[in-house]
Amino acid sequence: MRRREAHHHAVSRPDARVAPSRWQRLRYKLRIAMREPTTLIGVLAALLFAYLIVVPIISMLLDAIRVQLGDGRRIKAETGELTWYYLERTFTSRVARSLFWEPLANTLSVAFGAIVLSVIVGGILAWLLARTDMFGRKWFATALIVPYMLPAWTFALAWTTLFKNRTVGGQVGWFEALGFSPPDWLSYGRLPVTLILALHYAPFIILLFGNALRRFDSQLEDSARILGAGRVTVTRKIILPLMLPSLLSAIVLIFAKCLGEFGVPYVLGLPVNFDVLATSLYRNISSRQTGVAAVLAGCIMLIGIITIVIDAKLIKEARRFVTIGSKGSMDRLQPLGAMRIPAMAFAAGIFLVSVGLPLLTLFLSTVMKVPARFTLDNFTLDYWIGTDLNTVALQTGILLSPDLWNAAWNSLRIVGLASVTSGLLGLLVGYVVARTPVRPLATFLRQVTFLPYLVPGIAFAAAYLSLFAVPRGPIPALYGTTLILMLALIADQMPYASRAGISAMMQLGKEPEEAAQVAGAGWFRRMRSIVVPIQKGSLVTGILLPFISGIKGLSLFVVLAVPSTDVLTTYSLRLVDYHYTQAANAVVLIIAAIAYFGTLLGQKLTRTNLAQGLGG
Amino acid sequence: MPRINLRGVDKSYGSNSANAVANLNLEIGDGEFMCLLGPSGCGKTTTLRMIAGLEHLSDGEIQVGSRIVDSVGQGIFIPPEKRQMGLVFQSYALWPHLTIERNTDFGLRLRNMPKAEREQRVSDVMKTLGIEQYRDRYPSQLSGGQQQRVALARMLAVNPEVLLLDEPLSNLDAALRLEMRAELKRLHNEFKTTIVFVTHDQWEAMTLATTIAVMSEGHLQQVGTPNDIYDRPANRFVAQFVGNPPINIVELAGKSTLSRMASDYFTARYPNLSNVGSMGIRPESLRIAGPDAPVPQGAFTGNAEVTGILPTGGSWIVELTLPGEKLFMATHQSPEMSLGDRIEFFVKAKALHVFDRQGNRLAEADRALSASEVH
Repeated sequence: MRRREAHHHAVSRPDARVAPSRWQRLRYKLRIAMREPTTLIGVLAALLFAYLIVVPIISMLLDAIRVQLGDGRRIKAETGELTWYYLERTFTSRVARSLFWEPLANTLSVAFGAIVLSVIVGGILAWLLARTDMFGRKWFATALIVPYMLPAWTFALAWTTLFKNRTVGGQVGWFEALGFSPPDWLSYGRLPVTLILALHYAPFIILLFGNALRRFDSQLEDSARILGAGRVTVTRKIILPLMLPSLLSAIVLIFAKCLGEFGVPYVLGLPVNFDVLATSLYRNISSRQTGVAAVLAGCIMLIGIITIVIDAKLIKEARRFVTIGSKGSMDRLQPLGAMRIPAMAFAAGIFLVSVGLPLLTLFLSTVMKVPARFTLDNFTLDYWIGTDLNTVALQTGILLSPDLWNAAWNSLRIVGLASVTSGLLGLLVGYVVARTPVRPLATFLRQVTFLPYLVPGIAFAAAYLSLFAVPRGPIPALYGTTLILMLALIADQMPYASRAGISAMMQLGKEPEEAAQVAGAGWFRRMRSIVVPIQKGSLVTGILLPFISGIKGLSLFVVLAVPSTDVLTTYSLRLVDYHYTQAANAVVLIIAAIAYFGTLLGQKLTRTNLAQGLGG
Repeated sequence: MPRINLRGVDKSYGSNSANAVANLNLEIGDGEFMCLLGPSGCGKTTTLRMIAGLEHLSDGEIQVGSRIVDSVGQGIFIPPEKRQMGLVFQSYALWPHLTIERNTDFGLRLRNMPKAEREQRVSDVMKTLGIEQYRDRYPSQLSGGQQQRVALARMLAVNPEVLLLDEPLSNLDAALRLEMRAELKRLHNEFKTTIVFVTHDQWEAMTLATTIAVMSEGHLQQVGTPNDIYDRPANRFVAQFVGNPPINIVELAGKSTLSRMASDYFTARYPNLSNVGSMGIRPESLRIAGPDAPVPQGAFTGNAEVTGILPTGGSWIVELTLPGEKLFMATHQSPEMSLGDRIEFFVKAKALHVFDRQGNRLAEADRALSASEVH
C-alpha cells in the first residue's frame, strides 16, 4: 500500500519521463483556456460591470472633492482641482443644517419611527398568522403582504387626497372639503411619512419574522415547558432570543429601504419643507449643486453599506441558531378563545388601513369632481375617458392622453428591456461564476454585481448623472436619453439578477452540460439546447422580479428622466407637481395594478414565495 | 482500434495539494471491460474524466488509438465533444427538459444523421435497453433504473468507440443493480465496445471486468484480471481492499501470540526468505483441523478459541480468538462447534499471502511456498 506501482503486464513504464518545460505547460493551459469562451465572456462581463457599476460610483465620489463646473469663481479655484469646499458646505457651513443635518435627523427619526411601528404591528400580525387559530389566517397571510407589492407613494397620494389642507394650492383633501381643516402636522411631514412607511414595510416583518416563527421547532418549547417553565417564561427565555436574529434582520432591511425612500417624503414633505436625505439629494441635483449632491449621495451610500454589513453579521449570527433536524414546526396553534374575534378585527383593520382605504380613496378621487361630495352628480368618468375638459394642459381623460401611453410605453420598453438584459446577464454571470477555472474572475464578478445592493437607488442615479451627464471620451452625454435609464436600471438590478443566476447555475451542476459535451455538443450548442432551456424558470424569475420593482420604482428615474423620457412613475409625479390630483391618482392606480398583477403572475409562473424576492 | 494509453499522467488541483492522480501509466486494450477500482478519493473518477477530456492534465499524455488526444508536452488538447466517447454519469445527468427520445437522439442530431436512419437507430437502442415505451416521457417521470437505462441508451446511440461509466449502478437498489450488471455484461458482449468503468464496489468490479485497475490515493496499485487481483494481490492495500470478509493480516514484528507463531513458522521453514513483513490469510483459506480434515504438510497451524459464530445465510463467519488477536474464518459448511470451543486451525502454505516490510507482495515467497507444497 506504499506509494509504489505494482509490477504488472499492463502497466507500461517509460523509463524516464521527460518533464514538459514551463513554456510547454503554459501553451497547454492557454490552449485549454482559449478553447471555451467562458473565461473570455467572463472577462468582458467584468469589464462591462466595472464600467456600469464601479466607475460611476468612483466618478461621483470624486465629484465630492473636486471643483465642479461653474463653481470655480465661488471657490476661487480651477474647475477639477481638489477641494474641501463641498464637504465643508455639507457638514459645517451655515447651510449645512438644512442641507444635511436636518435631513439626516429626519431620515433617522422617520426610519426609527417606521421600524418601531412596523415591528409592533407586523410582529403582532406575524404571531397571529403563524401561531394562533385566528379566523381567516390563510387569506390574511396573502392579503397583508399586498402593501409591499404596491409602490409606497401610492399611500402618500391617498393620504394627500384625504388630508390635504390649504397650505398648498390645488384641489383640497376630503377633510378640508368637509369643513374640518387638518393641521399641517397631520397633513404633511414627519407623521404621515412615518405612518405610511411603517404600513408599507410591515410585510417585511410579517414575512421574515413570521417565517422564523413558523419554522421554530416546537420541541424546544415543549422541553422548556416539561421542565416547568410557564408560557411567559418560555416566550421570554426561549422563543424571543431565538427569533431575535430574524427580527433584527428585518429591521435592518426596513432601515435600508427607508434610507433610499424618495417618493413618500417628496409628496408629503415638500409642502412643509420636511426634507430627508433622499429629497435633499434630489433638491441639490435639481439645482445643479453637483458637488454637494455627490457628498450627500456618498453619505447615503455609506450609511447603506454600514447597514448591510450589520445585516450580514446578523445573518451569520442567525445561522448559529439554526436548529438542525427540527421535525416539529409550529403545527400546534395557540387557541385565542374569546380573543379570536378581536384578533381578526385587528388584522382586518390593518388590511383596511393599509390597502383597502388608500386604494378606495384613490379610486374614488379619480371619479369625483369635487372632493368628498358624495352626490350622484358629482361622480364622473371624465378624468379617465373624458374629452374637451376645461383645463389648461390635460384636456382629455387620462386614458385618452397620449402622454400616458407614451409614459406607459416608455415604462414597458425601458424597464422591460433592462429586465430582460439584466436577467440574461445574470444567468451569464452565474454561468461564468460556476464554470470558469479562473477563480479570481468569479469572485470579482460576484462582488461587483452585488455592489449596487449597497447603494440606494437615488444615490446610484446621482452616480450615473455624475458620469454620463457630460461627454467622456468616445461616449456622448447620455443625460436625457432612454439609454442612461436603461443602463442605470440594469446596473441597479444586477444584484438580484446575478444572485438568481448564480444560485440557478450552482444548483444545476456541471453534469448535464458535460453529458452534452461528451455527446459532441460545442459551447454554443450547449448553451442553446441545454443550459438556457433548463434555466428557463429561473430566467423568468430573474426577469420578472426586477421588472416589477422597476415598474414601481421612482428614485432612479426621478433623477435621470426628463419629460421626453417620462415613465409612468415620473409622469404621475409630474402630475402631482402640476396639481392634477385625479390624473396623478389614476396613473398611480395603473402602476399599482401592474405591480400587483405582475407579482401574482410571477408567483404563479415560478411557484416561488414572495419572501424570496424581498428587497427587490 | 481504440487502445487507450495513459502515459505519466498527473493531476493536481492547485500547487499545494497532493496529486489527485500521480504518474499514472495504464493501457486499456480494445474491447476490454476495464474497471477502475478503489476507495472514494483515490483518483479513479478523475482518471475517467481525464480520458473523457472533462478534466485537464497537469502532466503526461493520453492516446486513444493512433491519436494523441491530450498532451501537456505537445500542447495537444482535443475537447470532449471531439473525442467520440460515451460517458454515463453517476447522477445520470439526463436533460430534464427533453423527452426520453430527445435525450437519446441528441448525439445523433449533432452528427446530422438523416431522420429515417436516426429514428431507426434510436428505436433499436431503446428496444435493446427496454425503454421504448417511455419515449415520450420526461426523465423525472421515470424510476432510477429506467433513468439509468436512458443514460446508457443516450450514449450507446452514437455507437462510441469507448464507453466510460462513472459508478452508474451506485444509485440503484440491490436487486436492480444485479440486473443492470448482467445487462452491462450483455451489452459489452453485444457491442464489443471498450468500456472503462469506475466503481468502489469490489463485487461489481469482480463480476463485470475483464481487467481491474486498483487505485489508492492517486496511485495505481495493481492491474490484472479479477482472479489475479484476488488471488495474487500485489500489495497489502489491494489484499485488504478486495475481499469480504476482509483478509486477515498478521504482522511478523508484532507482539501477539499469532505474530510470534508466524515469525517462528517462517524462520523454521523458510530460513532463506528475508524481509518478510506480514502475512495475509483469506478467511475462506482458514480451515478447522479434525478427523476428516488432517493438517497438510507445511501448513501454518495454531490453536484458538471460538468466540463468535455469525451466520450470513448459506455461509458462516467464525471468529477465532488467540491471545491479543482475532482471525476471521469464512465457511460454507455449517460449523459443528459452539462458543468457547478450543480448536486447531490451519492454512495451506500455498494459500498464504506474504508481503515484505514495505507491504509489497514477496515474489520469492510465492515460489518458495508453492514449491514446499508436498503431500
